[in-house]
Amino acid sequence: MGDRERERGSQQPRLVEATGLTRTYRLGAAAVPALRDVTLTIGRGEFVALQGPSGSGKTTLLNLLGLLDRPDGGTVRIEGRNGESLSENARSDLRRDRFGFVFQTFNLIPVLTAHENVAYPMAIAATPLHERRERAGELLREVGLGDKLGVRPDLLSGGQRQRVAIARALANRPAVVFADEPTANLDSRTAEEILELMRKINEESAVAFLFATHDPRVVARARRVILLHDGRIEKDETV
Amino acid sequence: MSAFSLAWRNLVRQKRRTILMGTVVAFGFAAFALAGGFIAQSFEGLKEGTIRTVGQLQAVDRRAVTRAEEKTLEFGLHEATRARAILASDPDVSAVLPRIDFVGLATTGGKSVPYLGIGVDPDPEATATSARELVVAGQYLSGDGGDGVVLGTGLASALQVKVGDAVTLMATTPDGSLNAVDALVQGLADVQIKELNDRYLACGVALASRLLQSPETVSKLVIFLKGRADESKAAGRLGRALNAAGYPVVIRHWRELAVFYEQVKLLYIGIFGFVGAVLVVIVILSAAIVMTMAVTERTREIGTLRALGTRPSGILKMFLAEGVALAAAGCAAGLVLALLVRAVLNASGIILPPPPGATHGMPINVQFYPLAYAAGLVAMVVTMLVASYFPARRASRVSIVEALAHV
Repeated sequence: MGDRERERGSQQPRLVEATGLTRTYRLGAAAVPALRDVTLTIGRGEFVALQGPSGSGKTTLLNLLGLLDRPDGGTVRIEGRNGESLSENARSDLRRDRFGFVFQTFNLIPVLTAHENVAYPMAIAATPLHERRERAGELLREVGLGDKLGVRPDLLSGGQRQRVAIARALANRPAVVFADEPTANLDSRTAEEILELMRKINEESAVAFLFATHDPRVVARARRVILLHDGRIEKDETV
Repeated sequence: MSAFSLAWRNLVRQKRRTILMGTVVAFGFAAFALAGGFIAQSFEGLKEGTIRTVGQLQAVDRRAVTRAEEKTLEFGLHEATRARAILASDPDVSAVLPRIDFVGLATTGGKSVPYLGIGVDPDPEATATSARELVVAGQYLSGDGGDGVVLGTGLASALQVKVGDAVTLMATTPDGSLNAVDALVQGLADVQIKELNDRYLACGVALASRLLQSPETVSKLVIFLKGRADESKAAGRLGRALNAAGYPVVIRHWRELAVFYEQVKLLYIGIFGFVGAVLVVIVILSAAIVMTMAVTERTREIGTLRALGTRPSGILKMFLAEGVALAAAGCAAGLVLALLVRAVLNASGIILPPPPGATHGMPINVQFYPLAYAAGLVAMVVTMLVASYFPARRASRVSIVEALAHV
């Protein structure tokens, strides 16, 4: 990277910037704080693990950063745009165009084939049909499922489903992929393969990955680990 | 991946539920199509029957519109032959029938029975109306009718006469004197309205004029038009022609005269409208339950779609598309069902109970009315849209995080 490029990069707004995030859930009459005054920044191309015990606020933080939920206090800025001031449609469009999501339970659409699942985010972005077809096929080949294009999720193994989910997350060339416990439902060998795949994608395409995880294998591969405890960042270190 | 393609796959996924709901829609559609066809056929039949009795238009004295006659032929049309010729010369007119309405007593010597008489020009009357078809014994009048009369079977029974017997007709003339003529029972008619059947008497205009001592005077001129002639335009033109010739007449439309037709029509619309409304409510409730179940079962999927960037309106559209797809599939099945049921009903020979005022039932005959089928399709699509809207709106507003955590 040359000096000029570096200069231009430094002038670009941060990819994800959270300031003073708080989120409290109601459990009957009781208020349960899930996040307390969390401030953090995710840069382009980072490979970050959010670690912490159950109930520490990992998923809550991931949901807030991914614009799936709104905080009770604080702000989330995506490439300089304040997520809280956006309409529901604008937040949907931002998720569609700049984010990818990988879930613990894969969350593929059961009535769609692997190819159609990957093409779906492009369809809602009104990408031309031929381009959608081409890119969905290309992504599935990239994740090693070139021979499963027309197969429905119920006929795929857990690992294959998660590969489809990863391909789907990359469909609209996102800036960041949010992955909530992506290896939790996979056997050890498959989990390793999936992590290797995501790491490879991160290195080759500079897509940032943010994991909420308990899995030490994920933490071991992360270049930055954020430790959450009782809704607060306890540690944020670059490995 | 269009909304309809996704909707269709989701419907196929829930086969049993889709078949159940599709069946409800199919029955709803078939009910609309068949009932609509039946009603339209009934209205058409009723209209034709009414026109065959009262004509499409009638030329009557202006005073007869607002006042009832106190004496026979008080508001009669004089110089009837000339007036009839004026009307018959219009290019849209196919037949002009003179009619003389009168009342009196018929007697065989031993017994006297009141009658409602109608003087007609027999041959054109038999051609343009169903008068001849009503005759069940003897013959209908012909030529100028001579001394012949056709009695309702009820009247004949009351008088204890049969075809070939003589009767004496008595009536009051326009100047108030009593007159009587001898007549011969030429035929017996089964008039389908019982009260009329007990009083019906038809004779030639010549005999009626002789009895009433009013030559060249009729109560009205009944006008039949050719093919699809415009009734309103013809009425205006004929009225002007008669007025210009010195006749103080107005031309009345058959709808003004057939109060019975309008009453029966309103009754049918009321009954079928109520049944239709009940049907729509049943379909709406069933569909709303099915859609609510679909939304609940697919809550996590909705959360996923929303997370991937589908706008709330996209979710709304997806479920509405399911409603429309279900309506379309149900209507397609309903079309087959309706055609089948129609064929079976029409072949069954079932005789329907007589309509109000009639003495005879008629065989069921459900016609194919494309408009009724189109109305069924529109009704089912709208019904399914209404039924799907609220569950779909709930789906579109669901919290993404809660939806993703839904088990």
